[in-house]
Amino acid sequence: MAKFARVIDTNRCMGCRACVAACATENYYTPGAQWNAMVEYEVGTYPTVKKVFNTIGCMHCEQPACKAACDKVGAKAISKNEFGVVLIDYEKCIGCGYCAAVCPYGVPQYNSALNPLYPGKGKVAYETIPNAMRDPTHRKKVNTVEKCTFCWHKLKQAVADGKMDRIGKDQQYTPTCDLVCPVQARVFGDVDDPNSAVSKKIKESGAVQLKKNFGTAPQVYYVLTEGAKS
Amino acid sequence: MELRRRSFLKGMGALSGVAASGVSFEAVAQAAKAAPAAKATGTSQAPETKTVKTGCAICPNFCGISATVVNGVVRTIYPNPDIAPYYNHGICPKGASGMLNTYDPYRLKKPLKRTNPKKGPDEDPKWVEISWEEAFSTVTAKLAKIMAEDPRKLVWQHGQGKYLIQEQFCKGFTSAFGTPNMVHRTTLCEAARHVADDLVFGSNGIIPDLSNSKLLLNFGANYYEGEQTSRWLDWTTMEGRDKNGLKTIVVEPRLSHCAAKADEWVPVRPGKDAVVILAMAKVMIDAGTIDEEFLITYTNATSLVGADGKVLKDKDGKTPLVWDTATSAAKPYVGEVKPALKGTYTVEGKPYKPALQVFADSIQDVTPQYAEEVSGVLAATIVRLAQTFAKEARIGESITIDGQKLRYRPAVLYSFRGLEAKEFGVQNWAAGLTLNMLVGSPDAVGGLKLNNPYATPAYFDASKCEYPPQRADLRNSVYFPFSNHDIAQTPQLVALDPKAYGLPYVPEMQIFYATNRPVAAADSWKQFEGLTKTFNVTIDVVMSEICLWSDIVLPDKTYLEAWHFAPTRGTPLASHTAIRQPMTNPYNLDQDAFSILFELSKRLGIRDKFMDESNKAWGLKEVTFKPGRDYTPREAVEVIWADKTKKDFSVAMDQGFVGTLLNVKQRYLSGIEDKFKGPGKPKMKFYRDQMIDTYEKVEATVKKNDIKNLDLPHYKVALAPIPGKEHAFPTPHREAKDYPFYIVTHKRMYRNQSAFTASNAILNQALGPDAATNYVTVNSKTAKDLGIKSGDTVMIETRVGKVKGTASVGEGVRPDVIAVSFHYGTFSPGLAPAARNGTWINQVLEMHPDVVSGMVSFNDTKCKLYKA
Repeated sequence: MAKFARVIDTNRCMGCRACVAACATENYYTPGAQWNAMVEYEVGTYPTVKKVFNTIGCMHCEQPACKAACDKVGAKAISKNEFGVVLIDYEKCIGCGYCAAVCPYGVPQYNSALNPLYPGKGKVAYETIPNAMRDPTHRKKVNTVEKCTFCWHKLKQAVADGKMDRIGKDQQYTPTCDLVCPVQARVFGDVDDPNSAVSKKIKESGAVQLKKNFGTAPQVYYVLTEGAKS
Repeated sequence: MELRRRSFLKGMGALSGVAASGVSFEAVAQAAKAAPAAKATGTSQAPETKTVKTGCAICPNFCGISATVVNGVVRTIYPNPDIAPYYNHGICPKGASGMLNTYDPYRLKKPLKRTNPKKGPDEDPKWVEISWEEAFSTVTAKLAKIMAEDPRKLVWQHGQGKYLIQEQFCKGFTSAFGTPNMVHRTTLCEAARHVADDLVFGSNGIIPDLSNSKLLLNFGANYYEGEQTSRWLDWTTMEGRDKNGLKTIVVEPRLSHCAAKADEWVPVRPGKDAVVILAMAKVMIDAGTIDEEFLITYTNATSLVGADGKVLKDKDGKTPLVWDTATSAAKPYVGEVKPALKGTYTVEGKPYKPALQVFADSIQDVTPQYAEEVSGVLAATIVRLAQTFAKEARIGESITIDGQKLRYRPAVLYSFRGLEAKEFGVQNWAAGLTLNMLVGSPDAVGGLKLNNPYATPAYFDASKCEYPPQRADLRNSVYFPFSNHDIAQTPQLVALDPKAYGLPYVPEMQIFYATNRPVAAADSWKQFEGLTKTFNVTIDVVMSEICLWSDIVLPDKTYLEAWHFAPTRGTPLASHTAIRQPMTNPYNLDQDAFSILFELSKRLGIRDKFMDESNKAWGLKEVTFKPGRDYTPREAVEVIWADKTKKDFSVAMDQGFVGTLLNVKQRYLSGIEDKFKGPGKPKMKFYRDQMIDTYEKVEATVKKNDIKNLDLPHYKVALAPIPGKEHAFPTPHREAKDYPFYIVTHKRMYRNQSAFTASNAILNQALGPDAATNYVTVNSKTAKDLGIKSGDTVMIETRVGKVKGTASVGEGVRPDVIAVSFHYGTFSPGLAPAARNGTWINQVLEMHPDVVSGMVSFNDTKCKLYKA
């Protein structure tokens, strides 16, 4: 069984936000509901200053707080599948927003409006693709919550094609944020395989989880650059 | 500091100990496991999907990309997975969302004609859509009249257009038409860097051999936020740091992303870099930590210079003489001659010194202490940088690669706009080249790779200092003697008063291709004024500001809709040849810039001439454009591809490019090792004597023609043969005494240049609110003194004008500096509303071009800053 995880090396991240833009086009972004976000901040005082560039998508936690809240309210719209991917079923989501409130990382995005890219100008680009032609994770629904899916629409294709060994390597089977990075600051793959690139990177770099104290066991690890907060 | 993500993290609840609810198998995962290998979209209809390998054209990286088109919709753009060994490993946010520029509902879709004849900032052009027939016949009528009377009256200008259909076709057209006036944008970009290169090694283009470097001393190149060759520099700097011990020191006034990731940030006062570099040179020369053998073998640092600053020549009047220490005589550097680098020698009763000695003498008072006072960089830091640079250069060492013993100098001083986007840009980058020469890094392993040295030997001669100027941009005229790469901002100034420059004709018509020139220049409103003097045609994708001053606007295709023979960026390791191919046409555009030019050439009766001149411009040899026939854009690309690659076009369409990994000879032995090494060969200009000869010509030309608008003393300073401390004092620093702050400008990753990406909804909305606008970056101490907080509206006031901005207070900028990016705050109502967010800084920058190269200064202006 594979369990997907990611490492983001903030030593390498140069803050370009290619991953943020790529996620948006890949995942049918609607304004106001961003799945991948850059948090950048200065460390130090002039003239000894550095900057931390830290992108955050979903952590796909082992003990997802979002799922716990969703289960508790009875909607049971959030699931964690056998590969560790945490997904929201928009049809079951009741739009209470509790998942957004409890996530330590601010990941779930409440989509109150399904805003168009160009108000008053009609649909453009991926907006023209009807829901029937989209993966269920891209059939956005107003007043529901959405978030990063580890590009599950690609991962499940790898499963269906029998190409799980190509996840994290081939573009069609790799989360888009991980494949566009100009400096390859991101590694994605099976953390249950000790020889995978992601397992090796975690081990060799001493990558850590953020906000461990919340106890959700996130599956996105970060190599922390100097001054970066965990 | 609390790690915050987006805005809604406020008030998030804490959950202690989430009860494990067990992992339930997701139904889709089960179904996917059991299902056959069909498209797992949950839909019944398999969409038509194709992958198109092509090139991005948003910025001058020209990254290889792979786009996926689903049912005719461009869904995703990824890096071309095969291009990594040759150029980019990834792409940037602009490239990843590049399809939004194609789908932009605000873009130009039909030819437009202006019906309000008045042009001005508050004038509505009152556009009327016209047919292509009317557009072509109107433009042709204007062109035909000019072609018959005096074709020079047509001024063609392009910006990114050079990199779309490429300059060669623009050259083909303008040559066939008979105008010399084809003007590229380089003086808004890197012209001073090019010209310093030209003057030093007879060609231009530099890139550090970073895969082998140990120290990158970066004076204001910003590859993590900017453009040219950045996608290779990004990757290679990170790999170098993580795998080869590469250290990077960034010297610049603002904490760019490069400075933020560097081993050290040295905040230098803007415009004062030259004194830092010269002080470093002094430290190194005094300590003897310079590569004397390199200087003797490859440069004219040994040329004997007289008291008048001129090089002593042999009887032929051309060959420079050196002091032969073997025979104690002045001789050409040939055979067994052993040239001196230092000392004073007497030749026919007159004193002469080797150029290195002249240089060393000239910087005697540019001590680290002096440099500290001027630049704000501590003397101890300057000494340490000099010692580190010299040490890491490993002077005298060699390395063997593929059996070849090569010079190994893995320390390199690199720059982009930091040194050269200045009033003394040529001298500043020449200082950078000087420091590289002092340690022998040019064309060494790990050093500074020079592009095709000595390709243009004429750059080593005095400029023609043309007067009267033949070109409307004054290129290579007495006004800008070494402006070898066009001058983007002068046509509008010349149009305002051609007689003042001695231009023998009055420009009547301008065609702008993919350039928003006035917005991107300095003192922008003056540029717009010039536009009122001519009949203007603009070919572009968006309604940029320049369109608002145009008479006819013609829509162009984007790079996802067009056929281009693509420009590419080479690296020290590889080169490649590429095309761009269309994958969509959502607005059913009929024409692109090539087909527009082609149609105009037909109607003007110069079609065959256009294609013949294009043959010359492209350097086509075996497969050429033939007379007597039409060419579609695709057919034109096919011809060039066939001639350049000798491969079938199916290869281009299938792979997007073909690449070559360079061998050792190509990488290290084809440059200065071939052109400048040893006795009897030409030499790199450590001492640019052609500048002195040129100043004499400028002086003579001014006097002969009674030219009133040329400041000779300023030209004497600018045309110095070696950089000096005077080059750290541009006009605003000397004159704008009541303006305490320095403005530096910079790029950001979230838009490119001015108009093309400004309406991109992903860039404006999906990257975060701070990418949707720009800021005035202010140092926290300065902000406190001025009562400014982040988010406050502030006023930037220069001697040119005032502009407002939103303050962003922090630690990442010198206290005496404010930093404002480009790309934002323009005003065209034809762009998306979000395009107009932010501050357009160019309009308040003072215009003081480098008179050597024509380069506009973007980093010399001084200002007042206060809460608005």
